[in-house]
Amino acid sequence: MMFVLGVLGCFAAVSAFAIILETPRKYVLHDGIVGGIGGFVYLLSIQMGQDVVMASFLSALAIALMSHTFARIFKAPVTIFLIAGILPTVPGAGMYRIVYYLIANDSERSSYYLVQTLEVAGVIALAIFIMDSIFKVRIKKTES
Amino acid sequence: MIDYKLVMNTAILAGELMLCSGAETYRVEDTMNHILNTTHAQTVEVSVMMTGIVATLGNPDMEPITATKRVQERGTNLNSIMEVNEISRRYCAGDLPLEEAYERLQKIGPKQYRVWLFNLAVIMVSSGFAPLFGGGLIEMAAAIVTGGVLALVMTAGKKLQISGFIQTLLSSFAVAVSAILLKQVLPMVDDNIITMSSIMPLVPGVAITNAVRDTLLGDYISGAARILEAFLIAAAVALGVGTGMALMGVFFPGGGLA
Repeated sequence: MMFVLGVLGCFAAVSAFAIILETPRKYVLHDGIVGGIGGFVYLLSIQMGQDVVMASFLSALAIALMSHTFARIFKAPVTIFLIAGILPTVPGAGMYRIVYYLIANDSERSSYYLVQTLEVAGVIALAIFIMDSIFKVRIKKTES
Repeated sequence: MIDYKLVMNTAILAGELMLCSGAETYRVEDTMNHILNTTHAQTVEVSVMMTGIVATLGNPDMEPITATKRVQERGTNLNSIMEVNEISRRYCAGDLPLEEAYERLQKIGPKQYRVWLFNLAVIMVSSGFAPLFGGGLIEMAAAIVTGGVLALVMTAGKKLQISGFIQTLLSSFAVAVSAILLKQVLPMVDDNIITMSSIMPLVPGVAITNAVRDTLLGDYISGAARILEAFLIAAAVALGVGTGMALMGVFFPGGGLA
């Protein structure tokens, strides 16, 4: 139940975020689908016992893959799907916890979450990089 | 005879629109290069950085033209990027005459969604992410309230033309305060979860994504600038939430700290 709610929530939230970013009307729901898949992979990885960093990595990979696929299918720039879709993995919770434990005078946990948040940001970068590279290879092959 | 000046103006306008709308640096350079190359001039140079554009067009039959454009305000408008992309693609393919391409570029509007839809979207983002952070239906409903406060502050900030950093700071401050106040009224909601999901519209997801793509494509200046932007936004969000929690801790012992 919680799982389904999480995926649907991501779908709705990312569609809404697409509106904030002024995404063209016809692609708003596509963005939502990308985000929903990202949320699904994230929650699934967490349920399978992965930690937050690994779950973020897998979900960012899925999101980047879907964005590139959609960009090929609908002949639109990748940015349109990627920017909104990546939102579920962005470490908002980590940023909150850093501050929370700072205020609570628990500097140990605060620095733990600081490292974790930086790791998540790095891992998102890695996932986007991997997918960008893979899709670049494919284009060059088909062109030659 | 090609109207070099008009081609240059078209390229600069296209580049400026894309840069203002948050396109990646390589995409802006690529588009401008394509447009300028339709003149088959000998020298076509475009250099784009996150804060401005420099372009040169030179051919033996003309005086070389160099244009500079400083870009002050940047936001995210994917629709503009799409439209500029489409117009430039059609112009380069020869489907669109130069004058018409230029006119169409000038007509690209800043916004396609109305203010109420934008505000509704902010509320939906706030509410929709609550389950991802472990919240249930109660938290989703509570996040609608904090999301509403966030939308209100964001709209007010836009009306008063508050700068980006302060705007983010004030917004996240309002979220933290309203979440803790809500907790006082309804003790069964988890204020941590609603704060986390309500700051999601503010987190620097766009900046992180663009920073990665720019850096990995070799646009180091733009990439570094965007990484700095991401850190600044993150710091503003953290500062706002922290100030809000500290302030509420004064009024309600234990305040934001469960």
